Amino acid sequence: MAEKVKLFVNGQEVEVESGKNLIDAIGAVGIEIPHLCYHPALGADGNCRMCLVGIEDGRPPLVPACKTNVAEGMKVQLDTEKIKKIQRDIMELELINHPIDCPICDQAGECKLQDYYMQYDGQKSRMTVPPVLKAKHMDFGAGVVHDQERCILCARCVRFTRLITKTGELGIVNRTDYARVTTFPGRPLSNRYALNVVDLCPVGAMTSKDFRFKQRAWFLTKSESLCHGCSKGCNIYIDHNKEKYQDDIIYRFRPRLNQQVNGYFMCDAGRMTYKLENDNRLNTAQVFGKETSLNETVEALRRSFSQAKKTVLLVSPNCSLEQMHAVKKLSATFNTVLSGYSDGYINAGDGDDFLIHDDKSANRTAFALLGIESSKSAFEAALDGADLLVSFQNDLCRSLDDVTLAKIQEKTKFVYIGSYQNGFSEKASIILPVASYSEDIGTLINADNILQRYVKAVIKNVQVSNLIHVVNLLGGEIKNHEEALTDLSATIAALNNIDLKHIPSEGIALTGKEVSNVAA
Amino acid sequence: MSDRSQLIETGIPFTFDAQRDAEFERLVKRYPTRESMILPALWLAQEQEGWISAEAMGYIADRIGTFASQVFEVATFYTMYNLHPMGKNHICICRTLSCYLLGKQEIVDYLKHDLGIKPGEVSEDGQFSLEEVECLGHCGTAPVVQVNGEFYENMNVDKLKELLATLK
Repeated sequence: MAEKVKLFVNGQEVEVESGKNLIDAIGAVGIEIPHLCYHPALGADGNCRMCLVGIEDGRPPLVPACKTNVAEGMKVQLDTEKIKKIQRDIMELELINHPIDCPICDQAGECKLQDYYMQYDGQKSRMTVPPVLKAKHMDFGAGVVHDQERCILCARCVRFTRLITKTGELGIVNRTDYARVTTFPGRPLSNRYALNVVDLCPVGAMTSKDFRFKQRAWFLTKSESLCHGCSKGCNIYIDHNKEKYQDDIIYRFRPRLNQQVNGYFMCDAGRMTYKLENDNRLNTAQVFGKETSLNETVEALRRSFSQAKKTVLLVSPNCSLEQMHAVKKLSATFNTVLSGYSDGYINAGDGDDFLIHDDKSANRTAFALLGIESSKSAFEAALDGADLLVSFQNDLCRSLDDVTLAKIQEKTKFVYIGSYQNGFSEKASIILPVASYSEDIGTLINADNILQRYVKAVIKNVQVSNLIHVVNLLGGEIKNHEEALTDLSATIAALNNIDLKHIPSEGIALTGKEVSNVAA
Repeated sequence: MSDRSQLIETGIPFTFDAQRDAEFERLVKRYPTRESMILPALWLAQEQEGWISAEAMGYIADRIGTFASQVFEVATFYTMYNLHPMGKNHICICRTLSCYLLGKQEIVDYLKHDLGIKPGEVSEDGQFSLEEVECLGHCGTAPVVQVNGEFYENMNVDKLKELLATLK
C-alpha cells in the first residue's frame, strides 16, 4: 500500500495517497478538481489552467493542481471567490470561438466543456466580435473525424500520438485564436490505436467516423466486459442500447481502465469487433438445412453422439474457462477426444509491444491450465477414424483450407454449436446457436496469465441458450456457470486458492508456474 | 494574425543544395538534440527558395528524424517563415509602437498605391511583396523598413521613392 498523507481541503481534513498530484490524490477520495488537459496517462501539461488551486503556504497565489504533488499538512483551497472567478473566466475564454452545437455533437452528455459550463460558469456570452471560423468534419484518417471549432487545444490527442504511439501525426499549428489541431499534408493518422484520441478528447472535437451521429451518449448502457479480439484481454465498456421496438444493439466498445492489463487504451481493431456481436450472428438451429427448435436439435445431436463410432469435440480458444471445463467434462463422460486446435486464430507477426498480440483469441492460456491439447498433429490423429466432429465456437475454416476440410467431411459429420455465421457453420450439418460473450458471463485468462471476468451486457429480444446449458442438455455433467466455477476451484490445482466467484475488477495475476505445471 | 495552415504543395521533391546541405551538417553538431535543428533548417530552406513549401517541411522532418507535424507547428507559429512564394524584393514594414507613432502608415499607404498590392500580397509581375511585421528592434531609428533583410532607417515617403527607384 502506498503511504498516506493528511491534508486540508477547504479546511476539511482528508487522508490521501502520497506521491500523487492533487487532482489524482484528492479525486480518489471523491473531491473533484476540474481539469481539461491533464490525463493520468499523458501527464501534467498545465495548459488549460482549469485546475488552478490555492495553497496556503506562501507560494504564488494560485498553482495548477496537476503539477502540484500532495504533501503532509498542505492547506488546499478550492472554492475561494478568486478561484471561482478564474474558472468562470477560463470557461468564457474557451467558449469564445466554440460553436456551441451541443444538440448535434456526439460528445454531448459526456463533454467536460458542457459539464464545466453548467458547474462553473453559467453566464451569458459577452462576446460581440464574430468568432474565428475553422474547419469542420476533417477526415484525419484511421476513422477519426475532427471538428476544429469544437477543439479547446488541450493537446491530449497531440500528446497521445507523440508519447504513446510515437507516430506524431497530430500537431497544433498557427497561434493565438487561429491555433488548431491538424495533420501534415499527406501524412494522416495512421497508427493502430488512433481511435483512442476520440476517448481522450474532453470535448466533441475528435469523433469516430463509425460512431458519430449514431446515438446520444446518455441513452447508452455501459456494461463492463473484456475484448475478445486478441489474447491481451483489454478491459472494455460495451456501450449498447435497446431502442423501443428494436433489439438490443451494441454501438461501440470503449477501453476501461485496468493498469494491470491495458491501462487507459485499446487498439482500433479490437474496438471494431463489436460489429461481430451485432451482425453475422446465428439465430436459428438447423438440422440438415431445416430450421428446428432447440429440443429437436438437441435430440438430433444426442442421436448423432450415440450413433457415432468416434467423436471429436473441438473447443474454441475464445470459449470461457467455464465453457471449456464443461466441454472437457462432456468429453470425459462420452469418452470422446477433445481438441483445441485453432492455429488459424494466430496471426504471426501481427502483434506489437503495446497491446496487440499475434494470437487473435481471448483464452488460449486456459488450454494449458485445463490440459486441452491443441496441436495440429494431435488433432489430425484424433480425426483418424472419426465420424463426428462437434465444434464449440471454433471456426475450423480459419485453420484449415477448403480442400482439406472437404476431405475430412467425406468421412466425418460436422456439427457447429456457436454464436456466429462463419465458414464452418456453413459446412455443418447440424447448427445450434448459443449466446456470445456479450450476452453471457465467463472467465478468461489472458496471454499474461491474468484471470479476468466478464459479465452479461446485452439482452437480445430472442435469447438463445448459453453454451454450458447446451452442453448440459447433451449429457454434460456441469449444469450451469456457478457449478463450473465450483468444480474448477476444486479440481484444478492452480485455482484451488482462488475465489472464482469474486474476481476483483482488475483481475487476478496467476503466476506462470501455476499454469505451466498443470499443463505438464 | 491569420490562418497559415494551408500549406502549398509544389509537387516537386525538395532537397537542400550542396551549400545548405553542408551548413545543415555543420549546425546539427551544435545542439544536444536533433529536434533543435527545426528552426535553423527552416531558415536554410527559406534562404534557398525564398519560402517554405509542404515538401520542404516534410524533407526537414525526415532529415532531422522528427514528426512532420512538429515542423508544421513551428513553421506556422513564427510569422517570419514565408509559407508562400514572395516577390523578388520582399519589403517588410514595422508596425509596432515606435514605427507606428512615427508614421509607418504613410509608408504603407504609399507602397499600396505605388505597387498596387496590400500587405500579405505579391505583385503580379512577381517583383514585389509587402508585409507588415512586428518590432524589428530598431525603435531608435523608427520608422524602419526592411528589404530582403537589409534595414532602411528613419524612413519617410521621399526616401522610400528613392529606394524603390533603385529596386525597379
